[in-house]
Amino acid sequence: MNLNIDAIKSQTFDAIVVGSGISGGWAAKELTEKGLKVAVLERGREIKHIEGYETALKNPWDFVHRGRPDNIAAEEYWAGMRTGYTANEEHRYLFENDKQNPYIEKKGGFDWLRAYHTGGKSLLWGRQSYRWNKSDFEANAKEGIGTDWPIRYEDLAPWYAYVEKFAGISGQAEGLDVLPDSDFLPAMSLTAPEIHFKNEMNKKLGRPVTVGRVAHLTKPGPQHTAVGRGSCQYRNKCMRGCPYGGYFSSLSATLPAAMRTNRLTMIHNAIVSEIIYDEASQKAKGVRVIDQNTLAVKEYYAKIIFVNAGAIGSTSILMNSKSNRYQNGLGNDSDQLGRNIMDHHLGVGASATVEGFEDDYMFGSRPNGLYIPRYRNWGKDKRAYTRGFGYQGGASREGWGRGVGADGFGANFKESLSHPGRWTVNFGGFGEILPDPNNRFVLSQTAKDKWGLPVLEFETSFGQNELKMREDMMNDAAEMLEAAGFKNINAYNKSDTHIGLGIHEMGTARMGTSVKNSIVNKHNQIHDVKNVFMTDGAAMASASCVNPSLTYMAMTARAAEFAVSELKKKNL
Amino acid sequence: MLNRREAVSRIAMMVGGSLSAPTLFAMQAKEAGKKQMADAFTLSPTQRQIVAAVAEHIIPKTDTAGAIEAGVPAFIELMLTDCYHKPEHMSFKKGLADLEKAKFLSQNQDGQVAVLTLLEANTKELMKGYQQSKMKVGDNLDKEATAVNVGVPFWRLMKELTLLGYYTSEKGIAGSFIYEPIPGKFEAIKIKPGQKSYQY
Repeated sequence: MNLNIDAIKSQTFDAIVVGSGISGGWAAKELTEKGLKVAVLERGREIKHIEGYETALKNPWDFVHRGRPDNIAAEEYWAGMRTGYTANEEHRYLFENDKQNPYIEKKGGFDWLRAYHTGGKSLLWGRQSYRWNKSDFEANAKEGIGTDWPIRYEDLAPWYAYVEKFAGISGQAEGLDVLPDSDFLPAMSLTAPEIHFKNEMNKKLGRPVTVGRVAHLTKPGPQHTAVGRGSCQYRNKCMRGCPYGGYFSSLSATLPAAMRTNRLTMIHNAIVSEIIYDEASQKAKGVRVIDQNTLAVKEYYAKIIFVNAGAIGSTSILMNSKSNRYQNGLGNDSDQLGRNIMDHHLGVGASATVEGFEDDYMFGSRPNGLYIPRYRNWGKDKRAYTRGFGYQGGASREGWGRGVGADGFGANFKESLSHPGRWTVNFGGFGEILPDPNNRFVLSQTAKDKWGLPVLEFETSFGQNELKMREDMMNDAAEMLEAAGFKNINAYNKSDTHIGLGIHEMGTARMGTSVKNSIVNKHNQIHDVKNVFMTDGAAMASASCVNPSLTYMAMTARAAEFAVSELKKKNL
Repeated sequence: MLNRREAVSRIAMMVGGSLSAPTLFAMQAKEAGKKQMADAFTLSPTQRQIVAAVAEHIIPKTDTAGAIEAGVPAFIELMLTDCYHKPEHMSFKKGLADLEKAKFLSQNQDGQVAVLTLLEANTKELMKGYQQSKMKVGDNLDKEATAVNVGVPFWRLMKELTLLGYYTSEKGIAGSFIYEPIPGKFEAIKIKPGQKSYQY
């Protein structure tokens, strides 16, 4: 009996955080720093910062296929192959094998890229970091789309500033309403044709262009060096893991911060299968986990549970958490659980060649580019669709790869390829996807994964608004490149892309004004299960067109403070 | 978990690259064979000689290493085995058979250059056909019968894999570029006369 009590004690914490990715890392940091004993349950294997980045310092020739996926990898990483990069040799070890982790596409395609290990996708993200603007929080209500956000920009603004200081965001202040400035580290520099482009856009089209805002340390502060982070080295091999801690990840930043409080317990290989609901208290009392290697089932208990397993993962845990009260998934009185999958649609834009600038070059490989903020449906501009898009891109000089399609071979050909080629420029759009209840996933009634958990079935497709927007995304890109005087313009709009390709999946347990229209309230609490918080992409009621991670960080820090204050008031 | 292929690469790194590239590739190819690559691909000794000769024509030895010295021929075979399927296996072998028929290896340097110059010109047309056939496959065509035409043309494969193999090899990078694996900064600069590309 005593043994049992001891066991329960060792499995009991003040708070449980499910997942160690970008939002889970923040939850762990904030909750431990506020004095709570926290267990982070990570479903995947342990990866240690620096020593765990097994490909980080390899040379090009150290990769058997020089980076390319071989046939076996292509078959196993079938969803990864759709991105064109995640299945590559350099960083495949940080993505999941899709064959071993199957999911079902029932209507259209859905690209689900997963990273089950310490830090999750925070090791792999694009690091582009933008605040949402005021309109992003108001558009749903104004246009009667989806459900209104119960929070506004002002609710999040101080939390943006808070997380930016710790994460370290490099960028240039521009004073634009459409793209609110962050608390910036010094901006990265632009190439000569990029400066030309920026000036021409401003002059000819009145469109501001700015350097990408990225979670890279261009000038580390004491808060960064204190957790062991250093300057970005401009290697642009970020997705292999950065041994310098040059970019923000859970491994480089939030988990070390949580660890130094001595209140963090990291538990790996722990797949949370469900949240245990207590009918009497109407709260969650803990979670049930399956050891991914031994299949042993164990329970952990806590007063507060933060579900940060990624939009799809977190939501599937709620779906799988069935009780008398919640037979259709925890907190799912609204039937919105698993619906409204959003992402950013991409694969559309234009490229061109740049004449001149032959004596301009750059040293270093910048893990960043230019950003063109949204201008459509902004101010007086009105289009046949709603919302908008931004562009990411830049200009660089061609390398040896230009020789593949070029004429010639032999000594002169070889010599020429050792020098920089022409300047080329490319801009790809990132478009907002509207919440649509028909874009959803459900638990399969029949198919189970190797841990006995239901496989997920996705039904997603682009709507008319996205398709109309894509025409502008392509044509505008070509028009801008032309206005800048660039040549050989190639406009593209890939028709075979899916929701999920942006790896910005969100919206499946959205925030809203009432239990009737949403899963979580303005504090990211499940409406009627107040000690369960969802602060990853699942909670998003709309998608904006800017990259979402910074908003997940801010929302998580905000919710953590609320959770601890509620706990102190004995409300949880 | 570390698979054997990665382990082999690591061992090669640990012993300071003292395993020659062909040896390394052979070890890895053997491993790949165990995993039963869906589409087996092997070359005869003569075919290997042709691949090496053509690769060396694309990237010859000058004051820096050529394709052969950089291990490119073995790399091409490994890539075709591991990363390509039957259509490319067939189009590649068709290209080799054509060169064998043209007695490529017994020609002098000028003769070989002339053959490859013609091959490059012809490949432009083939590439157009390749793009079209790619679109048609899947209708009523017998895939097996048209696979030769469906695969990327031989010359294009040779060129792409030679350049990839060479410009990512240790010798190719050392000879062609300024290798800066840890630049430490990013800045716009003015190019110097004869400036070689930076490689990171």
